[in-house]
Amino acid sequence: MATAVLSETVKKLRAAVGVENVLSASSELLVYECDGFVIEKNSPDVVVFPRTTQDVAEIVRICNEANVPFVPRGAGTSLAGGCLPVGGGVMIVLTRMREILEINLRDRYAVVQPGVVNVWLTNALKGTGYHYAPDPSSQGACTIGGNVATNSGGPHTLKYGVTVNHVLGVEAVLADGRIVQVGGPAEEPVGLDLVGAIVGSEGTLAIVTKVWVRLTRNPQGYRKMLGIFESCDDATNAISEIIGVGIVPAALEMMDQGILTAIEEAFQFGFPLDAQAILLIEVDGLEAGLDQQRDQIVELCKKCGAREVRQAADEKERLKLWKCRKQAFGAIGRLSPSYCTQDGVVPRTQLPHILRKITEIGTRYGVRIVNVFHAGDGNIHPILLFDERDAEQTRKVLQASNEILAECLACGGSVTGEHGIGVEKIHFMNRMFTPSDLRAMANLRGAFNPRGNLSPDKMLPTAGGCGMEQKHPGRRAAM
Amino acid sequence: MAAVVTALPTKTTLQPADQAEVAALVRQAYADATPLYIVGGGTSLDYGLPARDPGMALSTAGLNRVVDYPARDLTVTVEAGMTMRTLAELLAKERQRLPIDVPQADRATIGGVIATNFNGPRRYGQGTVRDHVIGITAVDGRGETFKGGGRVVKNVAGYDFCKLLTGSLGTLGVITQVTLKLKPMVEQSRLMACVVPDAASAERMLAALSASQTTPVAIELLAGPAWDDNRHLAAVGRAPAGGMYIVVGLEGTAAEVEWMCSRLSQEWTELGVEMPFPLGSSAELWQDLIEFPAQGESPLVLKASVVPSGTTAIVEAARRIDPEVSVQAHAGNGVAILKFARFPSEGLSRALVGNLQPTAAKFHGSISVLSNPAGTEMTHQSAWGGIDAPFDLMTAVKRQFDPKDLLNRGRFVYI
Repeated sequence: MATAVLSETVKKLRAAVGVENVLSASSELLVYECDGFVIEKNSPDVVVFPRTTQDVAEIVRICNEANVPFVPRGAGTSLAGGCLPVGGGVMIVLTRMREILEINLRDRYAVVQPGVVNVWLTNALKGTGYHYAPDPSSQGACTIGGNVATNSGGPHTLKYGVTVNHVLGVEAVLADGRIVQVGGPAEEPVGLDLVGAIVGSEGTLAIVTKVWVRLTRNPQGYRKMLGIFESCDDATNAISEIIGVGIVPAALEMMDQGILTAIEEAFQFGFPLDAQAILLIEVDGLEAGLDQQRDQIVELCKKCGAREVRQAADEKERLKLWKCRKQAFGAIGRLSPSYCTQDGVVPRTQLPHILRKITEIGTRYGVRIVNVFHAGDGNIHPILLFDERDAEQTRKVLQASNEILAECLACGGSVTGEHGIGVEKIHFMNRMFTPSDLRAMANLRGAFNPRGNLSPDKMLPTAGGCGMEQKHPGRRAAM
Repeated sequence: MAAVVTALPTKTTLQPADQAEVAALVRQAYADATPLYIVGGGTSLDYGLPARDPGMALSTAGLNRVVDYPARDLTVTVEAGMTMRTLAELLAKERQRLPIDVPQADRATIGGVIATNFNGPRRYGQGTVRDHVIGITAVDGRGETFKGGGRVVKNVAGYDFCKLLTGSLGTLGVITQVTLKLKPMVEQSRLMACVVPDAASAERMLAALSASQTTPVAIELLAGPAWDDNRHLAAVGRAPAGGMYIVVGLEGTAAEVEWMCSRLSQEWTELGVEMPFPLGSSAELWQDLIEFPAQGESPLVLKASVVPSGTTAIVEAARRIDPEVSVQAHAGNGVAILKFARFPSEGLSRALVGNLQPTAAKFHGSISVLSNPAGTEMTHQSAWGGIDAPFDLMTAVKRQFDPKDLLNRGRFVYI
């Protein structure tokens, strides 16, 4: 942003939302130069913290007047660079809009501001018999606004669905500053399903300022099992068997030996470190049906060669197991200084194949890869370990990642199940979609965001790439 | 088919044999600026504003192939013109199902069900169309083929056209192929029913059901002559004047269903219900619940969508207009189908503005017209509820996908 424009914009923003809600010193902006995808970095020129919907609308008007790009951000836990401020501009951080506005149990919804942290809603609902189902592993930090932007998943999405299945409506500020409400507490609004279009649009269609979420009844009971396997092949075959016979567990997660070692060091759960893979399997629902499901699963695991299938002794142990799983990424620091996690999806029957392929790719590039993922959905999360200060290692990690994702596509899958395209996987859009698919996406963006000032250079590759590698504007930071 | 096509201002019906032919026909229509009216099974042609501009009908009947059915992945890819019956039979072979209840399954097509976002009783426990479509291909108003989603159950690459096209009434694209997420068939399925004397006790029962220890797949509130005369419901007795019926669907393993039946009997007894009746396997009543929207002649069918606690108020409001109205409400979801015995004597607009719309608004919802065969007083405001929805934004989307306004012109919410 040109200096004169910048200082004028900062002045207007301060006047609009208060000096205390605007950051513009470079030392303060450093925090906002990337999200959980650390390979590409770029600082915004200004960071602004709206406190109301009207603040957001006013900020957007100021940005449009100055013709500068603007990008919304939640807690910055996203993993694909969705809130990277490509080309600088104004970053609108929604973490100070953090009220739970209403909880209505009779009509099973809650209304929250976008900056409400996912787990705050979980906590607010404790004791009511209801919960908000999407539970991304980062739920202690990530915001519901961010979950809406990325259509977040989590371990329990296997049975309960992802964010879009639990959002009834949103209030949003459009790219021209208009405030709209689409959907609401009633389930079937008239007209196009714009809620469905906005959820998962990675901040490129609108800035969400209020969310109506659906609440789900708590299950009566749980059975949590730990399947211990001598090989990844056996474990992935077991997954395929369980789904194949028609059991849909609440969650079905896999961890391989590499990640188990780190988790065990961090949490001392007592995982068998000689096991090659562990399946965390949870079924929930009516007590009357749980033992039958558990017995079936135990039998299928054993049929696939499980060494042992343990059961969580009590609720305390069950919660500890979930803590180990959800904080697995935190334990990776014990393995390497940096990591890059991928988010491919394959049809569930292809899991044995893709795991073997990941091992082969890791060996070929000399990159250590560990795995912890939502196996029941076929959503893999290979974690590539490296040191971002080493350019050669970084290059290999990117190449290995690309090969893994290309293989997911070859299996009939997707390059992202829940993390989003962001800037990280933008070069894959041409491979997953045809030019006319991408034109249709550009058409949708054109209706919401015709000038393209809202979250530019995200998700959709720019026109005219024609077989050339899509540019990665911020990638110089790590290369 | 003949009757179907005469309901539209069309003389010709195009019947493309595959997706490429659909694209070619739409490209030709684009060149000639000819409006196209998309027809699946022709079961919902009354839905939407009446078509006025002459054009051609485009039938999807030729698109009826199975593209891929990897049953062990619990997904299926089929062409959009496949009937719901054919699809159900295909899935049944693998003991799987798409848990969307649709009347006239031998005619209704999966593409039509998606375009109209049609959902039946099981929506309470199984979710709606939008929860099951994971991949979609369509041809836009220029004749360009585009897709969204894919063939895997979890996917956030690109914009979610599966959601955008669900309920779009074919106005953004001709849906040609879809991939669906499936569910295993259940071991057992049962219904329990009771009579409630008035709206207040109905709401008390519904609130209790929403917090029940059981996990129903369907919570239905029924009222009016269509149900008073239903012989499968007769076992629970006839509702008194002003009364209603509550029917609850329970599904799962044999042990689960048995437990739920006994638990619900207990919960209802505690609430003072005298004769809570388990209705055996009750396949016939399930069928009646599914077929209700398509059964019988009605001069006016409306749909209300409100928060669940507003369902009984909607029934009461409809009864004030026509005491003989027959109602099926998916009460757990706040969605009610109101089938009137006679056209409102004060006229449609007055009935809506003076009575139903204010009630719906009080419960955060809206009323739309599902069927008004005579077309009387069918304006944008009466058809789509006259509410403050962002129709301008929807219109902007429509213009991007169909710049010449050829696909189902004049029938949907655009302004």
